[in-house]
Amino acid sequence: MTTLVTLERVSFGYPGAARPALTEVSLEVRPREVLLVTGPAGAGTSTLLLVATGFAPRVVGGTLGGVRRLAARRCGVVFARPWTQLTGLCSTVRDEVAFGPASLGLPRAAVLAAAARALEQLRVAHLADRDPSQLSGGELQRVVVAAALALEPDVLALDDPAAELDPEAADALYDALPSFAAGGTAVLLATPDLQRAARVATRVIGVADGRVVADGRPAEVLTGTDVALLARAADCPPPFPVDVSALLGRIAPDASRRGHDPSDAPPAGSGPDPGATAR
Amino acid sequence: MIGYVPGASALHRAHPYTTLAAAAALLMGAFAMTGPLEVWVLVAAAAVFAAVGGVLRASARTALLLSLPVWVLLFVLHGLLGPDPRVAVGPVVLSAPGLARALVLGGRLAAIVLGFLTALAAVSPHRLVEAMTADGAPFGRAFLLASTLTVLPRMRERAARILEAQQCRGLRLRGSPLSRLKALVPLALPLVLGALAEVDEQVLALDARGAASGARRTALEPPRDSTWQRALRWTLLLFVVAAYAWKFWRLRR
Repeated sequence: MTTLVTLERVSFGYPGAARPALTEVSLEVRPREVLLVTGPAGAGTSTLLLVATGFAPRVVGGTLGGVRRLAARRCGVVFARPWTQLTGLCSTVRDEVAFGPASLGLPRAAVLAAAARALEQLRVAHLADRDPSQLSGGELQRVVVAAALALEPDVLALDDPAAELDPEAADALYDALPSFAAGGTAVLLATPDLQRAARVATRVIGVADGRVVADGRPAEVLTGTDVALLARAADCPPPFPVDVSALLGRIAPDASRRGHDPSDAPPAGSGPDPGATAR
Repeated sequence: MIGYVPGASALHRAHPYTTLAAAAALLMGAFAMTGPLEVWVLVAAAAVFAAVGGVLRASARTALLLSLPVWVLLFVLHGLLGPDPRVAVGPVVLSAPGLARALVLGGRLAAIVLGFLTALAAVSPHRLVEAMTADGAPFGRAFLLASTLTVLPRMRERAARILEAQQCRGLRLRGSPLSRLKALVPLALPLVLGALAEVDEQVLALDARGAASGARRTALEPPRDSTWQRALRWTLLLFVVAAYAWKFWRLRR
């Protein structure tokens, strides 16, 4: 399978920084994978996304060492704060999403078709005629992701993309990631929201102090999620499930198949605090 | 009111170049006019321009707020310190040439501010970029011009958000001028630092969306231009050239 991004012993330092943000990172990114990059705050996860997608040092400046091979034709990037990612020049959501394809000089019909596809994919087609500055943070973030997808990127980097979303919208966004990947895009995801990311990640990179400290399947790397800890405490045999549906699949396959059917939920007030398991 | 105001006036519907050409003609014309009467005729033209854009009241109020301190200063400086002969204005005796000079400078300022505010209110940055894109202008140039039109409203929105946040933490905006001045400090620093931080992300986002691809952008909805609008723009240019020719002809006499 083609490798979209290859990093070999790559180090990167921001301009004026005393020490590098990344140190000797080696990594391969392939099409169709949802790669979760995780680590404590300041570990270098966001920087790794920028380096892997070619935006660092080209746009942000800094010094790159080691070997980076970027076979991806186009890379998209989405940050946590949607309002900083608007062009500020578009009066409708449709124009905002079409901005990328229009910048590539595609024919008008192709630009509008790409925008319409991306809006449908993120389920924000109903917002097409709205003014982007009048949207809520959650709506806006979905528009921003659609704008990145409209470019049909080979690699899509999402840096904590659900920070501004309500839980339902965050679920919807994370659940859509496998469909982006199924189209051939490699999704790079940096987020502290391991519970949701674990559901969709096909591979996990652990980063600490600018170095890659783990690289493997979610069940191998995400041993610290609440569910994994619960499974461990319950003497589940390894590999430990990392999210609720995987745990249910292990201990109660029937319940897992029923999924999140609301009819399964106990009446309000009859059960324990729903947040209890998350704590 | 500083910034684009959505609307359906003739200026809103006009090609952005036409509205900008009219504002530019007011600016250039203001410096070409040398007498108080000519300058204030131009101020009246700027008012008509704002009325055509449907933003006369809001633009005039903002223009007045911006110009008033300078007008007062001009009348004090030129009226009191100007050369003889002097005229009595109520109980005060003022310099007649100084007053005329103050009227010219104050009128120029009013015409320019009013014209600029009207153009800002009536030219949609999006339509301007589309027009420039259709003409094959590089995106960087279009973005620079459109950003200039949007920078003030964006800074004002950001300042309002910061002020709300600071007020929640106990910042007092009322009181003496000194205490109001002090309130600027907790506003200015986050305003500047926040703007710089957001610019970094916006540059990345624009780059990721192909703004620097070098390809010729596709204009999706270029504003419609017309023969009469092109003719109007040429007429405005001729007006400016004629005004300067007249000015220099009078100076040489």
